[in-house]
Amino acid sequence: MAQLKQRYVLTQSQKMMVFILSMSLYGLSNMITELIPSIRLGPIELSVEYFAFIPLTLCILFHPFYAAVGAALGEVIFGEIMLGQFGGLGELEKFIGFSLAMFIAGTLVNDPRNRRQVGVAAMMGVIIHQFISCAVDIGKVWIGVEEFEAVPGLAQSVVVVEGVAFLNDVLFSGILFALLPTLYLVPRLYGKIEPLLGMKPRNNKMKYSLGEIMAPRLIVVSVILAVLAALAEFLAESDMALVEWDADFLESIGSWFIWVSIGAAAAVACLTIWLLVRRGKRSGTAGTGI
Amino acid sequence: MYQDRTLLQEAETAEPNWIVSIDNVTFTYPGAEAPVLNGVSLQIKRGDFVAVIGGNGSGKSTLCKTLNGLIPHYYVGDFEGSVRVNGLQTLEHDVARLSRYVGYVYQDFENQLIRPTVLDDASFAPLNYGFEDYRARGLRALHLVDLTVDPKEFIWQLSGGQKHQLALAGAISLDPDILIIDEPVAQLDPCHAREIYDLLRSLNEQHGKTIIVIEHHTEFIAEYCRQVVLMDQGRAVWSKPVEEALLELEQLRSSHIYPPQVTQAAAEIAKARERNSAGMDVSWPSLGRANLGLPHHAPYPITLDEGAAYFQRLQQLEPQEESGGGIGITADFDADADAGITQANTDDNTDTNPIIEAKHVRFSYRTVSRERKMVLRDVSVTFRTGDLVALVGNNGAGKSSFMRLITGVTKPESGRIVVKGMDTAATTPEQLANTVTYIYQNPEEMFIEDSIRKDVEFFLKARRVEGYKEKVDAILESFGLTELQHRDGRLLSGGQQRRASLAIGVAMNPSVILLDEPTANLDIATRKDITRLLLQLNRHVETVIVATHDMQLVAEWANRIIVMHQGDIIRDGTRESVFGDAGLLEQAGLRAPQILELSRRLGMTPLSYTVDEFAQRWNESRKEAAGHGVCS
Amino acid sequence: MEYVRKLMDRVSVEGVKIELLNTAYGNGNTFLAKLDPRTLFLWYLYFGIAPWFIHSEVLLLGMFLLLVVTTMMSRVSPLIIGILCLGLLSQAGYLFIVSWLFGGGGETILPLLKLTMKLSVISMASITVFCSMDPEKLSDGLLRIGVPKQVSFGIAYGYRMLPSLVEEYHHIFLSFRLRGVAPRRHGLLYWRSIVYFLKIAVLSFYPLILSIAKRTRTTVEALEAKGFSYAYHSPEAKRIKLSYMKFTARDAVFLLGSGLYVVLLHVLAAQISI
Repeated sequence: MAQLKQRYVLTQSQKMMVFILSMSLYGLSNMITELIPSIRLGPIELSVEYFAFIPLTLCILFHPFYAAVGAALGEVIFGEIMLGQFGGLGELEKFIGFSLAMFIAGTLVNDPRNRRQVGVAAMMGVIIHQFISCAVDIGKVWIGVEEFEAVPGLAQSVVVVEGVAFLNDVLFSGILFALLPTLYLVPRLYGKIEPLLGMKPRNNKMKYSLGEIMAPRLIVVSVILAVLAALAEFLAESDMALVEWDADFLESIGSWFIWVSIGAAAAVACLTIWLLVRRGKRSGTAGTGI
Repeated sequence: MYQDRTLLQEAETAEPNWIVSIDNVTFTYPGAEAPVLNGVSLQIKRGDFVAVIGGNGSGKSTLCKTLNGLIPHYYVGDFEGSVRVNGLQTLEHDVARLSRYVGYVYQDFENQLIRPTVLDDASFAPLNYGFEDYRARGLRALHLVDLTVDPKEFIWQLSGGQKHQLALAGAISLDPDILIIDEPVAQLDPCHAREIYDLLRSLNEQHGKTIIVIEHHTEFIAEYCRQVVLMDQGRAVWSKPVEEALLELEQLRSSHIYPPQVTQAAAEIAKARERNSAGMDVSWPSLGRANLGLPHHAPYPITLDEGAAYFQRLQQLEPQEESGGGIGITADFDADADAGITQANTDDNTDTNPIIEAKHVRFSYRTVSRERKMVLRDVSVTFRTGDLVALVGNNGAGKSSFMRLITGVTKPESGRIVVKGMDTAATTPEQLANTVTYIYQNPEEMFIEDSIRKDVEFFLKARRVEGYKEKVDAILESFGLTELQHRDGRLLSGGQQRRASLAIGVAMNPSVILLDEPTANLDIATRKDITRLLLQLNRHVETVIVATHDMQLVAEWANRIIVMHQGDIIRDGTRESVFGDAGLLEQAGLRAPQILELSRRLGMTPLSYTVDEFAQRWNESRKEAAGHGVCS
Repeated sequence: MEYVRKLMDRVSVEGVKIELLNTAYGNGNTFLAKLDPRTLFLWYLYFGIAPWFIHSEVLLLGMFLLLVVTTMMSRVSPLIIGILCLGLLSQAGYLFIVSWLFGGGGETILPLLKLTMKLSVISMASITVFCSMDPEKLSDGLLRIGVPKQVSFGIAYGYRMLPSLVEEYHHIFLSFRLRGVAPRRHGLLYWRSIVYFLKIAVLSFYPLILSIAKRTRTTVEALEAKGFSYAYHSPEAKRIKLSYMKFTARDAVFLLGSGLYVVLLHVLAAQISI
């Protein structure tokens, strides 16, 4: 009987369940974060950008692709279309950037019980997403302003503004609303939520085969998504070559800024994870208070 | 009634036309250890009205999911055996094909409505199956289930009963031969449940649909169903005509199913008679089982009408003391009844301090049409120590809103509510929580931690109460949760969840407990268990207020009943003043328990509120009659 | 505290329903709302993308004027347009101030203003188009141009479930409040209270994830029984559902009119720049 053979593979309906679950949860959280006010202190904005822990948790627990796409779609539908704020093509870039970042974060985890893996994945998810959206924002100004380089001070200020925003989001939203809640939720939900959906938890045995399936697909999908993201935003402007952009970007504006901010964020994140893991080991139980 | 049943049974002897034929089916859910279905074999006749009964985890829902192919196509567990539906092997046809013949209405039917508007949802299936006239089909289904709202209405604007009708419309939009309804009564208030059953009856009788309900409310089964299937541990124990099935008292009891109250009363009285005059009476039910094949000799009644006839005949068979036309109303019994209902505090009783005082409370909220919907008009009421209050009235009467106002989560628009000297308008819900506990209708919304124990101790821990561990241990013990304390609340059965939610409430050590529908969604056995726990609550607290549709609970538990109707209190008094007033019940959309209705029909005064009370009074009056007989 | 109360009021079920209805039925009777979704998509494809590559002030100004008109036609309140432009301007102002630190000056203003104008045009184009379509039309339109069915399902599902989801979240949130202890002092700038509420807002998702998982199971079973995946393999359902879409004279007038206007603008721009 055909259906008996497929027992350990995610069926069409299980994919659909993960998709709907992720869509409704992240969509709902989006409506909530829209309502939470932000505190702005100059360039530093203490705002609840998003509850990234929801898609991160689901990507880690379930098939990352469906969870990531579901969450990204949830954001567009609940947070934009239903509130009458649908932004057309701009949404496409958000959609792709976000789902790509969450997907990669999900594939980084082989064993949801490994706190270190979960923590690294959560931070990576946020860093990748913020990096993509900053790059896109810089790109917007760059494309939108004629002879961008010729305008004095503009290039530097764009990078500085975006860099500060990046650092701010990664440190604030990343640690408070991605890293900590994900570390809290994943161990609590693992093994408990899967039976509710009528499926088996991701386990170590499945890790190997999953890795085998995922690796090539991950590459293909990321390449496609990356190209699409680029296309959506840059839409082949005839007199500009992408190669030039890279060179320009790195040399004239000073890439150091971005890398310093990524580095700083990574350092702080690693420190936090390390401290948490150490504390978790010492107390011997899985309880991590936020 | 008896006549009809005889005819049906005769028809049964003819060559049966099985629409469902299940043969030795075993099924294990993926990842589960034990099989849910364990060699089920069962046949269902075309055009029948079947009730599937059985305890929790007996495999009722799983069995029904084999009929539309969700098992084995959708849940890819281990499946053995064969299921034929309408002549089709379910293994060979997929869910899409089988769904044309089988409609399914879930217990949590809200989640099966997936389109935003009414007609959209009703015509969704015909559209997917590529019918050009999908809208007409949707409209026809809406018409069949008698749902008369604007087809463009958003689903979240509908009431619970209307949503159930819509789910039913979605299920019959493809004109299936079989309709499966999972626990229609559980989620609806009693009036809507009755409407749904009337609807099912007309679908069955006028449109020839085979109806299968999963149900444990035997009063509905007795009135509407023709065949009963008892499931136990993944097997179908038997399938019998309803008038036989409901008299299998022993087997029903071991599956935690309670027969209708009239049946219980008749059985109890017969048992007492058996004890008193062993073997003297040949015409009596002790021998009745041998006569089961002949319904007009059926020993016990199963519906209210039969019950009334049965007890009237009984009265004639052995005349009882005729005093004022009623039966067995002795002066001292009357006093007993009053004592049972303890002193309900009325407003003129000022010797105790009020616990809650509401004065001219008004409350409304914004609606979609931008008007304000008036929920409470001008409510003034006082609650005192020892009050066990039942807040009754149909949906939308303002019960839940009133309770929320007491918790301080919402504030009154005008007027004020004072709880133990605190004005709710000036107090945060966190502070009020030290005095008032609110227990949600859906216990799952109270489980905020990942184990029962953590949930119970949450309040005490947050307040750093000394020695909370021992206290929690004691509470868990008294609610029978010690074994379950490390499990997640959401993964427990309905009854366990309800017990846990009560334990959480008691752990907060409140003066006032508010409960929203504490017995909704429970089978009768669990309901009894919860009623017992509620009776013990006043040991812990000063005032208990329960909002409920469950009139059996009201009759057995409350010492003060407040009837609400359209935002006003229309009665505040004892159960006599409420249940004795047929006009009031009618106006507020309430239905008295069957036993109470029976005692009313038999002209008992005062009315009997429980089966035990009824039987006791009946027996006593009989004894007296016998005594008189000896004397004269 | 006062703020939290207001916020919770907005997160109330009735509040959300009102918000949803306003979007769904807000602008049903405008000229633009009666156009075929494909027309609107086509129109958007030009006005949403072209401004990126236009550097002529005259052209941009002309487009800006056209879009102010079309945005008004879609009956979006002028206030929203004002807020939008103000937001974009302040962003540009911000960039301008920072650029000063890097040796920028007066000459930075003009490019930034132009950028703001472009962004305004693009934003107004999306407002015009997407506020003129109720969600059902949008989802049908997307389905028609080949966007996967899951998207249009998602939109419908959102409209169906959002109020229930919000209600459930609200209940869980209240459960935390009714059993927890709010900080006794608000702390500097209310930080204690803010942390308390944010923590609850995050923690409430643990119960919510599990209960939505339960819901989802029924929903997906019902989808299967109602032939959702069956329709996936048969184009018939899609054809029947979308058979009502038609191009009319109205669509032609709208597209031709806009086209003509853009051509005229180009001519004008060419003359002025000469």
